[in-house]
Amino acid sequence: MVRISDKEFPWHENLTITDLLKELDDPYPYTVARINNKTVPGHDFSKARVPDNSEVFLIPLIAGG
Amino acid sequence: MTELKIKEIKTLRYERPVIEKGYANQTLYINLSDSEISTKPVSEKMKDIFVGGKGFDLWLLWNAVKGTTKWNDPENAICIACGPLGGTPIYPGSGKSIVTSISATTGSVMDSNVGGYFGPYLKFSGFDALEIQGKTDIPTVVFIDGISQQIQILEVTGLPEEAYEISEILTDHFGQGKPRNISVVSTGPGAKHSLIGCLNFSWFDAKRSKARLKQAGRGGLGSVFADKGLTAVVARWDTVTVAMNNPADETALREVAKLHSQEIVEQDPKQNQMSSVGTAHLVTIMNDYDLLPTHNFRYGQHTDAPKMGMEVYRGLFDKGYDGCWVGCTLACAHGIKDFTPSTGPYMGKKVFVDGPEYETIAGCGSNIGVFDPLHAVEMNFYCDTYGLDSISVGTGIAFAMECFEMGLINKTHTGGMDLSFGNGQAALELVHQIARGDGFGTIVGQGVRRMKHIFSTDFSANRAIMEDIGMEAKGLEFSEYMPKESLAQQGGYGLALKGPQHDEAWLIFLDMVHNFMPTFEQKAEALHWFPMFRTWFGLCGLCKLPWNDVVPPDNKQTKEPAKVIKHVEWYTKYFNAVTGRKLNPDDLITMSERVYNFQKIFNLKMGFGRREHDAIPYRAMGPVTTEEYESRQERYDGQLKDMYKIDIDGKETTEKVKILRKLREQRYEELKDAVYKRRGWTQDGIPTIETVKRLGIDFSDVIDVLKANGVA
Repeated sequence: MVRISDKEFPWHENLTITDLLKELDDPYPYTVARINNKTVPGHDFSKARVPDNSEVFLIPLIAGG
Repeated sequence: MTELKIKEIKTLRYERPVIEKGYANQTLYINLSDSEISTKPVSEKMKDIFVGGKGFDLWLLWNAVKGTTKWNDPENAICIACGPLGGTPIYPGSGKSIVTSISATTGSVMDSNVGGYFGPYLKFSGFDALEIQGKTDIPTVVFIDGISQQIQILEVTGLPEEAYEISEILTDHFGQGKPRNISVVSTGPGAKHSLIGCLNFSWFDAKRSKARLKQAGRGGLGSVFADKGLTAVVARWDTVTVAMNNPADETALREVAKLHSQEIVEQDPKQNQMSSVGTAHLVTIMNDYDLLPTHNFRYGQHTDAPKMGMEVYRGLFDKGYDGCWVGCTLACAHGIKDFTPSTGPYMGKKVFVDGPEYETIAGCGSNIGVFDPLHAVEMNFYCDTYGLDSISVGTGIAFAMECFEMGLINKTHTGGMDLSFGNGQAALELVHQIARGDGFGTIVGQGVRRMKHIFSTDFSANRAIMEDIGMEAKGLEFSEYMPKESLAQQGGYGLALKGPQHDEAWLIFLDMVHNFMPTFEQKAEALHWFPMFRTWFGLCGLCKLPWNDVVPPDNKQTKEPAKVIKHVEWYTKYFNAVTGRKLNPDDLITMSERVYNFQKIFNLKMGFGRREHDAIPYRAMGPVTTEEYESRQERYDGQLKDMYKIDIDGKETTEKVKILRKLREQRYEELKDAVYKRRGWTQDGIPTIETVKRLGIDFSDVIDVLKANGVA
């Protein structure tokens, strides 16, 4: 299982953040996510693999200093 | 260490006023030249127009200086204020102080905000602001004792020069067994020998039994402090409670504070993790988006940047609560214990380091081509303990390194040092030289603007190329975000009143990544609203991080998520609950507009503030060299062809650099036009008479300044 936005989804091989956003049906233009504690930029959402038992956090906006 | 000797110069006993709805209703005036200590009343009009914090500072400073006053003239004042909401222990981020003075680097008005306990302790001791004028040859400590109700000017000898030691010793001495009652403002030896000195504000960390430090870094405020002969200003106050501000509606205050505080506890671990890694979380994100300054802002990305990412610093930071004000749940002021410097006077000794934050990691790391996380920690430690602004140090050394690599300066100028990018040992040696006041460090410590002058006049370096690559504007070094691909952020830096610091506007993601503001008018609107709202935090004694570094879960469903409107509404309730006023969210913007325009006119009074002063180096707008262009050729070629419809077939890179430059410089000028219009300014960047009348700041001396600048 993987967790995203307080919801759980079954894990499968080659699961990406893009896959999870489709499952969530969340069209918001996220630019950064975190898989556990590793940040992933938006342009890598379809490439970065989400490991089993991970939690994915969607960072809403990067506000800056 | 020599024995601490304290001799009383002057003492004023006073009756501490009761704080009313967030205000002490008086300010404290000190003149070091004649040892005067007095108080000044705060009028209702002063509160209506200037609100508090930076507003009070600016009003006091405006009345203290003439248009001809230089940073090291005795009449220059250092003003420190909190704000009506400052000192509230249950609302996150409510302990900020704002410092203003005529800047050592820009020659105009500087403001810098800082955490720590000083501002609230000053107010609870009975003063909304502190104004220090004059100069002295005697090593002086000002002691504001709100418990005993007395102000003292003291001659103190036997103190070390370094900030951590000064803070520890004075906390121990004045704390009388209760170190948490003390906050110390001090600087360090670097401030004495440079123009980029910072101020350190302390807060006592009871768990670690240490005086921790936060910095008012920008614009050489520490250099002004040192030039006045001040060693430290110490405030003493007792237990802090919600009732201390005597809020108009404590129940409403508690309700809104609980909402914001709890939201942070719930959401921060899911979002930016400020409470565990602070702003260090930004390093890899900025790098991923080509926004992390590397090699003096040539590039925004480096393959080694992840070596200084948040997971590295998470492992280095000492675990535990790190709030720089009582009860803040964001608590992002992380530090490293038992760090052992490899150079300098603390070499081999275990020290505590407050930080590093993103700016120091980027400025003293990637921007000088060093990707060793421990090197950034050591730079951070020595900048703080020497009283140096780590942003100006980083951007300044990066500039010197690029000049060295370009052959504009060489080893005969640097005292034999190889200043190639990546030479971390040379960077540390420069910091030690600045602190000692010797070697090439004395030149670096003058800041980028003066370095350009010295390199061209004394070393015959090419001035034109240095104007392009020297990352300063208005005399202040750029903070550490790459603005090349965001026109709005170029405006955020270039139009900022004090110089290129991101606390007025941070629009890179909205503009470049999200493309939320494609037109000039939309960019201008953002460059109105965001600087105004960000100004508001400085009026009230607040940190802005709880506003938009953590957001409500449903924020993305609002019309303008970047404004975090739910938080704006909470801040309005917070302000009303403390002050008893009945404002709506739009009123907060108008409050800020008054002070913002007043500060703009203050710049004019000091001989700055016109369109020409909003110029930025081309390095901030686009690729200066063919090497930079070719490193991102696909991007730049694409823009020339698709955005500007230029036929680039057969054109050499040098020609494309020139064409792109002309277009980007033109866009920056068009942005200025749009922003000035939105702000109610002339095309020379000066507030109109109508604007100052609308805002109620049409005082006779304000009108005189406008008239002197051709506005009638």
